[in-house]
Amino acid sequence: MSVPLVYISYIVSALFAFGIFVGLPKQGRFPRRGAFIVVMAVASAMLIYLLQLLFGAESRNITFCILAVLGLAAAIRVVTHPLPVYSALYFVFVVLATAAMLIQVGAEFLGAALVIVYAGAILVTYVFVIMLSQQSPEMKGRISAMLDYDRSAREPVWATLACFMLMAVLAGMIVEHPWKTVAQPLSAVATRNTVELGRLLMTDFAVSVELAAVLLMVALVGAVAIARKRLPQAADFSDHKAPGEAGKTVVPY
Amino acid sequence: MIRGVNKQQMVVGGIGATLGGFAALVLLFIFRSQLADLLADQFYFSLFLALGLFGIIMTAVAYCILLERKISAWVQDRYGPNRVGPLGLLQPLADGIKLFMKEDIIPRHVDKGLFVLAPFLAFVISMIGYAVIPWGGEFRWPWMPEGETLKCQVASIDIALLYILAVGSMGVYGVVLAGWASNNKYAMYGAMRASAQMLSYEVPLAMMVLVAILTSQSMRLEDAVAFQAGSWWTFAYHPLAALILFIAALAEANRAPFDLAEAEQELIAGFHTEYSAIKWAMFFLGEYTHMITSSAVMVSLFFGGYLLPDFLPGAHWVNESTNILAMFARMGVLFAKIGIFIAVYMMVRWTLPRFRYDQLMSLAWKAFVPMGMLIVLMQVLIIYNDWPQWYSLIGNIVILLAGGLFSAAVAKPITGRQVSLLKRERGMT
Repeated sequence: MSVPLVYISYIVSALFAFGIFVGLPKQGRFPRRGAFIVVMAVASAMLIYLLQLLFGAESRNITFCILAVLGLAAAIRVVTHPLPVYSALYFVFVVLATAAMLIQVGAEFLGAALVIVYAGAILVTYVFVIMLSQQSPEMKGRISAMLDYDRSAREPVWATLACFMLMAVLAGMIVEHPWKTVAQPLSAVATRNTVELGRLLMTDFAVSVELAAVLLMVALVGAVAIARKRLPQAADFSDHKAPGEAGKTVVPY
Repeated sequence: MIRGVNKQQMVVGGIGATLGGFAALVLLFIFRSQLADLLADQFYFSLFLALGLFGIIMTAVAYCILLERKISAWVQDRYGPNRVGPLGLLQPLADGIKLFMKEDIIPRHVDKGLFVLAPFLAFVISMIGYAVIPWGGEFRWPWMPEGETLKCQVASIDIALLYILAVGSMGVYGVVLAGWASNNKYAMYGAMRASAQMLSYEVPLAMMVLVAILTSQSMRLEDAVAFQAGSWWTFAYHPLAALILFIAALAEANRAPFDLAEAEQELIAGFHTEYSAIKWAMFFLGEYTHMITSSAVMVSLFFGGYLLPDFLPGAHWVNESTNILAMFARMGVLFAKIGIFIAVYMMVRWTLPRFRYDQLMSLAWKAFVPMGMLIVLMQVLIIYNDWPQWYSLIGNIVILLAGGLFSAAVAKPITGRQVSLLKRERGMT
């Protein structure tokens, strides 16, 4: 039973890889729209079939499915959109959809933390970098207004291959793994799951928390060391003048 | 009378509106039992409350703008708006009509999609924060069975404060996208300033929220309010934390003295330079809604939420009763406190001059963050050792004094002079 499922998951991955490859920007346009839509539709249908086989009635949770589809569609747009700013915004959308799914399965803290950390902090920095690197195009849809490196994807074949090999391996693992099923819903196990999470982090996973803290500290020190400019400190304000003095010593023109 | 509309049309319109209102009342009367059942259900009540609050907050925002203009006039010894309606009370209506009727210009050089999206994002994100605020505690309708209560709150979730922080951290996107999509240097500079400022002040803001979480030992806002019932308000335990939270919230809202994102002298109008009419108004509404939401959070965390101080007559009934009238009284108390906060916001805006950019940054990173860390550490120690909570008051005072003495000891003259790094490196000065 499990062997065909693995092959189905490989086929789904290959289809998605082909769809993404077709959809990657070439010459500043979204090429072969029809082919892209057809391949994606077939791949999605197969994915839904696979999920049906795997989880049965569980996979018919409507809100979860809608969120998953929205998140996946946004994720595809992240890699296929020619403008980096839009890609970053679609990434925000992916993060929000994922957070909503986490909240739906009862991991409220994780969902909120995902939004704060990814959407709130990292992606803002990302948007920052993009803004500094380019200005928005003068006219939409005109290829000449686009920057060289935005017009077409570099190495689309190898990029999609590498990503979807990983994807296929992971999907195969997920399909084959004998998952344990929980007898009762998560919300019944822990009514205040933030409290439980905090207790776990401070007892069972204390070492990981400490390691993360040390890593952050090292990053902070490193950032300060890189950003610091060595200047003769004492001379900084030697030529400082008192208020009222400033204009008096200026050499007349 | 509005020009261009003749008397006959106005009479017809008036009769139509009256008839419509009457029909609505009749419908309400016919379906009163179904309506009562709906209102007694938490989900539908939350829905009604969300819609009602939207209306209340929109009206409040309109009148906040009038209040702002009146306060600025008072500070600057002028009259302020006093032509539309008695005492200028209909001014918000006139402003609204003007902003809706104005031509909505989208310049040709902008990125159209994001240009349209940005103001809506700014407005919606500042709006959704109010869902977790406890507006009036628990109550029951007279027709509900004894012992059952409803929560006067749109969503009572376990991670309320994290939700507020998450929504607040998304607030940068409206400003950044507006600046970028405008394709204009000044708008871009404004957006850059705003995003750097909001990211920096998010850190002390989150720390002070953490202090409040630790003090009430819950992430629910209603628990934070319940903690303050029958004891001191958290403000009395943590005055410094409340002050830092207030200042950080001021900076998060991009209000003076932290309004570098729209410094007129330097940047024309910053990130909303290219916006006009209703899109510009969306940014404006977003700013005032953000003020209301952040004031509500601050009041709930540090100033007793919807509670009346215990020494006032009738405070016991207002704070404890599940009567519907007591609920409305509590709502009134909360709105009054929010009103006081907003008046303070406005007084600050019209009193203090704007910060310089490096001063703004050093205030956040060199003053608020270290102090905030110390306060968090102190509160953790108090909880861990089971010390009485009033130790934190002493701790706050000590931290404030220590910070002041330290900064006085290492003080440098503040100058506007920029040291040229290039010349210094070459030894040219």
